[in-house]
Amino acid sequence: MASVELHEVRKAFGALEVIHGVSLSIEDGEFVALVGPSGCGKSTLLRMIAGLEDISGGEIIIDDAVVNDLTPRERNIAMVFQSYALYPHMTVAENMGFNLRLSGASKTEIAERVNEAARMLDLVPLMERKPAQLSGGQRQRVAMGRAIVRNPAVFLFDEPLSNLDAKLRVQMRSEIKTLHQKVKTTSIYVTHDQIEAMTLADRIVVLNQGRVEQQGTPMELYKNPANLFVAAFIGSPAMNLLDGTIDAEGGETAVRLTDGTAIRIAQDRKVKRGQSIKIGLRPEHLSPGKTGTALTGQTLLVEPTGAQTHVIFDLAGQPVTAIVDGEYPQRYGSPFHASIAAEQVHVFDRETGVAL
Amino acid sequence: MTDIATSQPIDAATAPGSGRRLRTATQIYMYVALILVAVIVVVPLISTALGGFKTLSDLRGNPFGMPTEWQWSNYGDIIVSQRYWLQMGNSLVIAVLTVFLTLAFGAMAAFCFAHIRFFGSDYLLNYFLIGLMFPAATAILPLYIRIRDLGLVDTYWGVVLPQVAFGTGMSIMLFRNYFRNLPSELFDAAFVDGCGYMRFFWHVTLPLSRPIIATVGIISFVGSWNSYILPLIMLNSESRYPWPLGIMIYRGEFNTEWQLVLAFITLTILPTIIVFFLAQKHIIAGLTAGAVKS
Repeated sequence: MASVELHEVRKAFGALEVIHGVSLSIEDGEFVALVGPSGCGKSTLLRMIAGLEDISGGEIIIDDAVVNDLTPRERNIAMVFQSYALYPHMTVAENMGFNLRLSGASKTEIAERVNEAARMLDLVPLMERKPAQLSGGQRQRVAMGRAIVRNPAVFLFDEPLSNLDAKLRVQMRSEIKTLHQKVKTTSIYVTHDQIEAMTLADRIVVLNQGRVEQQGTPMELYKNPANLFVAAFIGSPAMNLLDGTIDAEGGETAVRLTDGTAIRIAQDRKVKRGQSIKIGLRPEHLSPGKTGTALTGQTLLVEPTGAQTHVIFDLAGQPVTAIVDGEYPQRYGSPFHASIAAEQVHVFDRETGVAL
Repeated sequence: MTDIATSQPIDAATAPGSGRRLRTATQIYMYVALILVAVIVVVPLISTALGGFKTLSDLRGNPFGMPTEWQWSNYGDIIVSQRYWLQMGNSLVIAVLTVFLTLAFGAMAAFCFAHIRFFGSDYLLNYFLIGLMFPAATAILPLYIRIRDLGLVDTYWGVVLPQVAFGTGMSIMLFRNYFRNLPSELFDAAFVDGCGYMRFFWHVTLPLSRPIIATVGIISFVGSWNSYILPLIMLNSESRYPWPLGIMIYRGEFNTEWQLVLAFITLTILPTIIVFFLAQKHIIAGLTAGAVKS
């Protein structure tokens, strides 16, 4: 196990810089998720940590040693790829033992370590199969087994669940979490799926256009997004964002929406009257009923998901999503009344996007 | 109520059953075309094989029909002759050396062109590929002079080396195309596992390249097996002649025993036909590699 530090790491392809001086500090044994939309540079950053991509500037430090010029093997990392990247001509056992074979380990040692990893991942009955004879989930487990076998200092996961169907993704997510709890190896996990990041990571780093927007625990990011980008990215369904102006309502600071609706906000927000802002309302914080700040609009869509129902209603000319109980009797076209506590209303500067 | 069936004219192309008729017609054209091509390919082969069972006069009077009298001795005499087996051995030695060296040089060079960017790599690749457009026959004289200067005239190497040189361009092109279509994640995974370029080539690329190895191997084998001009120029001793030159002994100053020539040709092409049928799946897979995204 090892800590990982990035100091002002940059990557440029010719004149085009795609990673703009990223600095991170990952503790020994920590599970960190790098999240962001496609093209934000998260996979490039992971490949730079792995040594598969040269860095154009800065330093990468693994276990207190600068590894900028070391090969992936010398960095003692293991990587799990989105496409599994198993060797098609080798059996499961050969795939898992390949890196040990290259490092000159004895046949007995290879067999012992491969069998141990196979037991851990429930792969024992599949050891003589070729990758083509495995399901997607089994292949991904073999890919993880290949990483475990070498007992690396750092695990790197590059969107490992993206090729799996929804059900298997949930199952494999649990397996990855269980595995990390067992082996406690420092892990860096790249995903564009914020649910994966929220459920797996001790800490999430949100990337946008090659820059870190915010980092923190999943709940920190969820409760206190630093800006509009993070607010919109973290949480599912996404946060509702509405234009408004700071005003007063009943002697308290409030936001006046474009249709005149007033929404009270926490009194400690650093805002001034007349300021153009955006407010963020999490769908799960909108309670049906007329208590508190009353928000009313016509129901545009009702999406039952079982335990919960998503009600999309019109508010100030924009669709707003609210999550209500699955049994809540809401119909398309009928009025929907909701309320939200002032403390749960997020406020952002409309120009800069920074949380206020 | 308006009856749709009577109010709207039915387009013949969209009428029920017209799709099936169209497919059937297409299939008929396809089969006719395939049969024509098969006839063009197979008739000369069968005529050659049957010609080997005829007498010379029968062959002259009846070149395409069945033999009037089956002359089994034409084939029998060739098969029992020592010269025939000696020449087959020569052909085999030359072909095996050609195949091995073409595969080795072609695969290694193609791997570099597929995976390593270096100064002038594109120019160097084009230099090799220009060889594809260069007919060997036009270079036969300078080639002979160079082989003579190297002291390789009348040796197997005098035939093998030029064959390898002329085959390398094609093999680089086929190998490079195939290697570039192997998933790049495999290279990343192997690199993380501790492979360098050599180990990746040996442990991952080559085992995954059996179809293209078979393709290039068979193309160079058949090329070497059928090679006539190069051995004719480079080899002087009859003891080193490969099979194609064996035909010459049936050509006299005034007369050629065509029935024996045909029997001999039939016997020499049999091995290549058998090899092709055994490996045709690999050949097609290798030639079409990269044509579609897998």
